[in-house]
Amino acid sequence: METEVVNSQLIDYAAIFVQFVVAAGFVLTTIYFAQKIGPKHKSVKKFESFECGLDSIGNARLPFSVKYFLVAILFVLFDVEVIFFYPWAVNFRELGESGFVKMLAFIAPLLLGYFYIIKKGALKWE
Amino acid sequence: MVKVTEAPEMYTGEGYGLTRLEKIVGLARANSIWPLPFATSCCGIEFMATMGATYDLGRFGAERLSFSPRQADLLMVMGTISKKMGPVLKQVYIQMAEPKWVIAVGACASSGGIFDTYSVLQGIDKVIPVDVYVPGCPPPPEAILDGIIKIQELIKTESFRRRESDEYQKLLTSYGIE
Amino acid sequence: MSDKVENGLIESLLKEQFGDAIRSVEESYGMLDIVVKREKIIEIITWLRDSSLMNFNFLTSLCGMHFPDNKGEELGVVYHMHSFANNKRIRLHILFSISDPHVPTVTGLYRTANWMEREAFDFFGIKFTGHPDLRRILNMEDMQYHPLLKQYPLEDGTRTDKEDKYFGR
Repeated sequence: METEVVNSQLIDYAAIFVQFVVAAGFVLTTIYFAQKIGPKHKSVKKFESFECGLDSIGNARLPFSVKYFLVAILFVLFDVEVIFFYPWAVNFRELGESGFVKMLAFIAPLLLGYFYIIKKGALKWE
Repeated sequence: MVKVTEAPEMYTGEGYGLTRLEKIVGLARANSIWPLPFATSCCGIEFMATMGATYDLGRFGAERLSFSPRQADLLMVMGTISKKMGPVLKQVYIQMAEPKWVIAVGACASSGGIFDTYSVLQGIDKVIPVDVYVPGCPPPPEAILDGIIKIQELIKTESFRRRESDEYQKLLTSYGIE
Repeated sequence: MSDKVENGLIESLLKEQFGDAIRSVEESYGMLDIVVKREKIIEIITWLRDSSLMNFNFLTSLCGMHFPDNKGEELGVVYHMHSFANNKRIRLHILFSISDPHVPTVTGLYRTANWMEREAFDFFGIKFTGHPDLRRILNMEDMQYHPLLKQYPLEDGTRTDKEDKYFGR
C-alpha cells in the first residue's frame, strides 16, 4: 500500500483560526457591551454575601481540617495514574509481555507511595 | 424550518437587517429569562407542573432555573409569604443583578389570598415592587405561562434608560430599597 | 405486662401518691384526662416518667389554652404523655390566672419541651420559669402581642382595603 504525503501548510488551517477569533470576539464584545450599556445599581446591601436572604454571621475564611485536603490531593494523584492505564488497556495485546513489565515499573514506585500512605495513616478520617 | 421567535421590525436587505439595539437586546433578554423560583407553597407545585413536559416552560427560554439571585433575571414568588419571611424576600430581591423583574404567582403572593391573618404578608408588593400578578389559587400552569409571556412583553419593550430614570428611583425608595 | 396498666390503676396510684394535688379525673375516648395543681406539676410528671410500672417516657405534646370566661383560671397548659412500653397515653392539665402566667418548665425532664414551651410563650404569653432560652419561635421577634389570646383579632391589623360591613363587623 502506498501512502501519499500531503503537503499541508499553515494557510490551510486559516479557517479554524478565523472561527476561533469570531467566537472569542463575539463573547468578549457582548460581555463588554453588556457592562457598558446595561443597567447598574450599587448599594451596600446588594454587595453583601448571599446567605439566602438572611444576614451572614462571621467570617467564611476559617481554618478547616487538613483531612479534606489530603483526601482530595491523593485522589488526584491516583486518578492521574489510572489515566495512564487507559492507553495500556486499549493496546494490551499488542504491547504484550514487555509492555506489562514496563507498566509494572511505572506502577511500582506509586505502589510504594501507597503503602507509605497507609502506614502513615494519611487517609484515616478520624 | 423551525421558527424560534418573531424577528423585530427591521429594514432588511440582502444578508443584513437594520434595527434599534434596544429591540435586539430586548429580544435576547426576553427569550432567555433565568427565573429564580421562590416557591413556598402550593403555587410552587403548580410551577413544577409548568416546568414539566406538558406545559414546558423551557420552550420560552426559561430552562435554567437559578436559586442564586446573582444569576437570575426573574424573581417568581409563588406561595404564601409570612411577615417573618418578608425581610428575607426583600434581601433576595435586593441581591439580584440588574435588570430584574418580579412576578407574583397566586393569590397569596398577590394579596395574601385567603390567609387574612396576623402572620401573613398581605401581598408581596408591601415589600418589593412587582411587575406582573398572576391570580389564582393556585393558578393553572397555563395562567403561569400567560404571566411569563406578559413578562416577556415587558422585557421586549423596556428602554435602556428605564432603570436610571427618576420614576424608577422613586419607586425603589418608596419601598425603602436603596 | 402491657395490659396490666389500666386507667383505673393509674388514677388510683396518682391519688394515693399526690392526694389533693389531683383536682379532677375524667376519661374521654379511653384516654385519662387529669387536672392537677400548678405547683405540683413537675413532681407529678417526674413521678409518671420515672415510675417503672407506668414509664411515661415520651412527652407527645405541650400546648397552651386560653378561656377568657373562666375568671381566675383563664390560662392553661396541657401535657400529653405516652408510654411506649405500655402503649398508654395520658393527658394532664393545669389551669392558672392570666394575671400570674408563670409555669415551671419541664425542659429538664424532656428536651422536646424546649420548643413547645417557646411556642406556648409566643402565642399565649405563658412564661416558663427556668427555661434556658424563652423567646418567640414562630412569629416575628418584634411582635408586640401574643396572637392566640382571644382578645386579639385573628385578621391582619394593617389591612387597608377591606370593608367591615361585608364581614359582619
